[in-house]
Amino acid sequence: MGAQKKGGGARVSEDAVEQSRQRLQAILLADSFATKFRPVTLERPKVLLPIVNVPMIDYTLAWLESAGIEEVFVFCCAHSMQVIEYLEKSEWYSHPNLLVRTIESHKSISAGDALRYMYEQQTETSQIQGDFVLVSGDTVSNMPLTDLIQEHRERKKKDEKAIMTMVIKQSKSSQLTHQSRLGTDQLFIAVDPLTKQLLHYEEDKIDHPSGSVCLEKSLLDTNPSVLVCNDMQDCYIDICSPEVLSLFEDNFDYQHLRRHFVKGVLVDDIMGYKIFTHEIHSSYAGRIDNFRSYDTVSKDIIQRWTYPYVPDINFSGNRPLKLGRQGIYRASDVVQSRSADVGASTVIGYGTKIGNGDKISNSVIGNGCYIGSNVVIEGSYIWNNVTIEDGCEIRNAIVCDGVKIRAGAVLQPGVVLSFNVVVGRDFVVPAYSKVSLLQQPTTEDSDEELEYADSSSGTADHLSGLNLQMESKASELGPDGAGYIWEACEGAHDEEWKHSVAPIPKDKLSEITQAIDDEDTDDESVVPASGELKSDADSINTDVNDPNDDYYYFEKEVEGTVLRAVEENIKVDLVTLEINGLRLSYNMESADCAGATFYSMIKLAVDTPHNSASELYKNAASIITNWKELLGFYVKKIDEQIEVIMKFEEMCQESPKELGPLFTQILHLLYDKDVLQEDAILRWAEEKAGADEADKVYLKQCDTFIQWLKEASEEEDEDDEDEEEDD
Amino acid sequence: MHPAVYKVGLQYLSGDISGGNARCIAMLQAFQEVVKDYSTPPEKTLNRDMAAKISSCVSFLRECRPLSVSMGNAIRFVKNRIAKLPMTLSESEAKAALKSDIERFINEKIIGADTVIVKHAVTKIRDGDVLLTYGSPTAVEMVLLHAHELGKKFRVLVVDSRPKLQGQLLLRRLIKRGINCAYTHINAISYIMHQVTKVFLGASSVFSNGTVYSRVGTACVAMVATAFRVPVLVCCEAYKFHERVILDYSICSSNELGDPNAISKVHGREDINYFDGLTNNANLKFLNLMYDATPSDYISMIITDYGMVPPTSVPVIVREYQKEHLL
Repeated sequence: MGAQKKGGGARVSEDAVEQSRQRLQAILLADSFATKFRPVTLERPKVLLPIVNVPMIDYTLAWLESAGIEEVFVFCCAHSMQVIEYLEKSEWYSHPNLLVRTIESHKSISAGDALRYMYEQQTETSQIQGDFVLVSGDTVSNMPLTDLIQEHRERKKKDEKAIMTMVIKQSKSSQLTHQSRLGTDQLFIAVDPLTKQLLHYEEDKIDHPSGSVCLEKSLLDTNPSVLVCNDMQDCYIDICSPEVLSLFEDNFDYQHLRRHFVKGVLVDDIMGYKIFTHEIHSSYAGRIDNFRSYDTVSKDIIQRWTYPYVPDINFSGNRPLKLGRQGIYRASDVVQSRSADVGASTVIGYGTKIGNGDKISNSVIGNGCYIGSNVVIEGSYIWNNVTIEDGCEIRNAIVCDGVKIRAGAVLQPGVVLSFNVVVGRDFVVPAYSKVSLLQQPTTEDSDEELEYADSSSGTADHLSGLNLQMESKASELGPDGAGYIWEACEGAHDEEWKHSVAPIPKDKLSEITQAIDDEDTDDESVVPASGELKSDADSINTDVNDPNDDYYYFEKEVEGTVLRAVEENIKVDLVTLEINGLRLSYNMESADCAGATFYSMIKLAVDTPHNSASELYKNAASIITNWKELLGFYVKKIDEQIEVIMKFEEMCQESPKELGPLFTQILHLLYDKDVLQEDAILRWAEEKAGADEADKVYLKQCDTFIQWLKEASEEEDEDDEDEEEDD
Repeated sequence: MHPAVYKVGLQYLSGDISGGNARCIAMLQAFQEVVKDYSTPPEKTLNRDMAAKISSCVSFLRECRPLSVSMGNAIRFVKNRIAKLPMTLSESEAKAALKSDIERFINEKIIGADTVIVKHAVTKIRDGDVLLTYGSPTAVEMVLLHAHELGKKFRVLVVDSRPKLQGQLLLRRLIKRGINCAYTHINAISYIMHQVTKVFLGASSVFSNGTVYSRVGTACVAMVATAFRVPVLVCCEAYKFHERVILDYSICSSNELGDPNAISKVHGREDINYFDGLTNNANLKFLNLMYDATPSDYISMIITDYGMVPPTSVPVIVREYQKEHLL
């Protein structure tokens, strides 16, 4: 043991030396492995899409470079040729401080595949030497990394199992939509407040608006304190140890970095690997995951939260723009009409012409665009070389390169126009529609789909066939337009507004508020289906309330049944069958049946026309004699018989004039007909003996009868004894 | 000492209650409690004894934090009422009368005055305006919120200054209502004044020569605004007006000095410690002023509950107000 320990110690010191001369490395996934940016990503990889006129990957690379990373492996998958070409053309390949290498793989369809591919490569070339930063190419950040990597290494030295550090940032998600600013679902994480170890990670949709999260009990056993947050945002920036790659190799079903890998590590007790979190406060980090985050991150860049990665600074070979008042960035050669009104937070790229009377606000306009007269552009993203003719209205839309929007056309909020689409004259593109020259793929495989499912060679074919298509196919965008309006995939239709560039419309918000309110009221009146956490008080309440109501209805039903049975002279068997059915459906005891049946019978007797008490007695007697079998069916036990007597007593109290005097007589009758046994009557008498004077009225009335019964029973007992003696 | 007064005093001390109106209302409410629990000692008259009692309360409050002019006016009102109580009234009647007088003062002169000011000031806000405000004046906040409710389209620039950063509270409340805001510190005032169309300011007090006595930095904002020919509107309730005349613009005798540590240290930034070891140096003094005086030249208009008046008309209001009081 001792020797081993020593050996371990030596290794640690060696590691330290090794780590000190280790290059800082990063893996950049130049593919989102998702389809959220379709149809745009059918023609261009997501990382090359411009955000505030600079491709996303430039932000990521510039940040990695400034954060002290020395070597980046850019993992290209979909449209890998385009990515590589772009990197070759840009200055990244010849950058003095950052070594950019590309890795190409067409087989990978998920982040998991990509990392497995990296691992395979690793065994041959051992490119990854130690801890590395794992980011995707759509990350915009300005956080420092060196300290964080150092922190990760220190932790790793102390604890072999600490394989990953995850960057999180505070960001409160909306109360209504449970969606963060970046359009991702609300995130629930549990962290050890002292060590910052990640204990639980849940990004899945929370169905219930109150948002219930289940934490494992063992979590609380093993950790003295657990911090549960729902106001954190995952930045998708991870510092990983090489073990992460081998973990992916071992678990070939890991696809998604969070959904599979993080959850897998957290659940797996055997390996005991740990993930830690690092919260950033003052620096910026955001990932462009969907159109809403595209909008949010663009605004953040314009508002300069991402400094130094802002449009007026050359950080990646981009041509810097001039910053004017109110956050208006303008290229030096913009031709702008004097009557054009360019409002706050707007970016206008090189070589763009802006016509008379245009109103532009909160928007980004790319290079080489032509904008006609009297155009309204609000909160939109116009990429490069777009032509917008006179009188168009564009609100909260994304317009890709080469699009032509003919005069008078209107883009409603949330529209995405993919490359080279032509919108016809006066055509109104409906809200949230996505338009592309390419037809929508008919089969939707799964959400873990590629940006571009076919092999990349297919693109060329598509593009060559494009012109033909444009001419031959009558467009869905007006007679002089070109392009297909994609149908929203099923299920996603309602959610369209959630991830769109357009702000969430007010009516949607009020709808949600309404829904939540409704649900709240529902919660109060109805016990929820699952009812797991509902307090016991509620269920007790319902238990108390409902049986009363139920019993009332049950009694009514029984009464109806008995009445019909008497009128139509139905067989006793059938009536018992029916009453049994009622008993089951109302969940009643057989004592309840006895009470209800007897009640119905007496009620029937009372309801039958009669002139005097004796006549009433006759009625009752005839009914009881005729239907004693029915009653007998339910009064087999003493308790049930007592229930009948109580019921009878209750009825007498309700109508003392009519029934009251007959109490003893009917009781006697019931005894005679063997419906009630003497034991039951005597027990009832005993119970009643201790009651209030008012309750004793009927007991007194049948005093003699009870006395007689008692005597009779004593005699019987004696008889029994005699008999026994005889034996 | 009455516990209510004690409580208010401590709240002043800790800074839980700040802002002219809030402080004044808290003080008056404490006085109401004092009056409620008061009983005349034997062989003393109510008028004299209660006035003495109020005076002792006031001196306690003054120890906690120097009184503002508005509070001085309110105290004068209360004492005046006590002195004017008819001798014929019984103790309970006198107490009830006094309490209702104080209540009336709060409702009419402070709360009621604000609603009138809002009504006046809103007429000055037009669509497309860019309004600048400094610090966190309650009257201005009410004006802005009301204008927004009326559907006027305007932007607000909230200018703030260290060390109190009260503007952040205002900003938070305005943003919550969906008003388009920008936030900056007073250092950038000359840059942003360029786009401003109107400046709305609050005041701690207005003196009879039209000088506005307000949160430190206000004078600077008003001067820059005047230099840029931007109208400066001051919202101030008439009960804060005072007949005194101030000529010394930098430090007047009644100015309040704040904690010098507040400006020598940066909150939340322990690493900025350039003053370490220098704080006790005899050659170094920290000046953390609470108020400054803005000369009437830099003020276009004062909006009060008596209407909108130029700063030269302040004496008229002071006169009218006092006449009404003495009645």
